Amino acid sequence: MTYDHIHDHQMLSTEARAEDNATLFGFWMYLMNDFVFFASLFAVYLVLRGNVFGSVGSDMFNMPLVLAESIALLTSSVTYGLALLAARREDTSAVLRRLCVTFVLGAAFLSMELVEFGRLIAAGHGPSASAFLSAYFTLIGAHGLHIAAGLIWMAALMVVILRRGLTRFTLRKLMLLGLFWHFLDLIWIFIFAIVYLTGII
Amino acid sequence: MSTNNYFEEIGAWPFRTHSLGGMYGWGYVLSLLLTIASYEAVMHHIARYSVLIVLVLVLACVQFAVQLVCFLHLGRETVSRERFIVLSCTALIVIILLSGSLWIMFALNERMVPSSDEMTQYMKSQQGI
Repeated sequence: MTYDHIHDHQMLSTEARAEDNATLFGFWMYLMNDFVFFASLFAVYLVLRGNVFGSVGSDMFNMPLVLAESIALLTSSVTYGLALLAARREDTSAVLRRLCVTFVLGAAFLSMELVEFGRLIAAGHGPSASAFLSAYFTLIGAHGLHIAAGLIWMAALMVVILRRGLTRFTLRKLMLLGLFWHFLDLIWIFIFAIVYLTGII
Repeated sequence: MSTNNYFEEIGAWPFRTHSLGGMYGWGYVLSLLLTIASYEAVMHHIARYSVLIVLVLVLACVQFAVQLVCFLHLGRETVSRERFIVLSCTALIVIILLSGSLWIMFALNERMVPSSDEMTQYMKSQQGI
C-alpha cells in the first residue's frame, strides 16, 4: 500500500493511524518534559535574579529589539500554521514557500538574539559576570538552541518535501515540527514576560 | 475543499476544517495585541510595580491559552483529550516546582538564620561554648 498520492477521504489504514497517533502522543510527552526542563531554568533564573554582583541589573536589555524578536517568532509560528493548512490542501509549492518564510523569520529571531548576546558580552555582561547573568544566558541560550535545532530540522524537512512530496512520512514530520515550533513560541511568551518585561519594571 | 485529512485522522486537528484558517488569524491578532499591550504597559509604567507584575503575568497566561487553542488546537474534542490531560499534569508539576523552589529559596534567611534571642538561648543550653 502506498501513501504517496492518496485522494481518498481515508488515507490511512487502521494500523497506520494508530501508529501515527502514538507518535504524535509520544512527541507531546517529550514536549511536556521540555516544559518541565524550562520551568526549572525559570526557577533558577528567578532565584538568582537579584545576584547581580556589581554588574548592572536588568536595565541593560535592549527592549525594542526584544519586542522585534517576539513578533518575529510569533509571526513564524503563524506562517508555520499556514504551511500546515497548505499541506492539507496538498499544495506542495505553497508548503515550501511558507516553510521558507518561517525559516527566514526563525533565523531572523536567532540572529537578533545573537546580536543581543554579542552586545551584552562586549559590554562586560557575559555569562561569567554574575549569577544573574549565568542564569539569564542559560535560560535564553537553551531556548535559542531549541530554535537552532528547529531550524536545522526545518531545512532538512524542506529538502525531503522537495524530493519526495507530501507523503504520510513527510506529513508526520511536518506535524511534529509544527508542535515543536508552536511550543517554542509558548515558552518565549514567558521568557518575554518574566525575564524581559518584569525585569525592567 | 480538501480531501487530505491526514492531520485530522491522526488526531492532531479537530474535524472542523472550515474554521482553522480563521483560528490562526485570530490567534495571531490576539497574541500580537497581548504582546504589544504588555510591552506598552511596562514601557510607560502605567501602574504601580506590584500591579504591573500581576498584569504582565496575567496577559502572558492569557496569551498562552490563546496559542494553545488557536495554534495547537487543544479544545474540548475527544481527539486532543489525552494531550490535554498530560498538559494539565505537567502544568501541576511546573507550578509545584516553581512555587516550591521560590518559596524555599526566599524563605531561607528567615528559616535558617536564628534570631539573636534564639542564639543566646542556644549558647546558654550549650554552657556558653
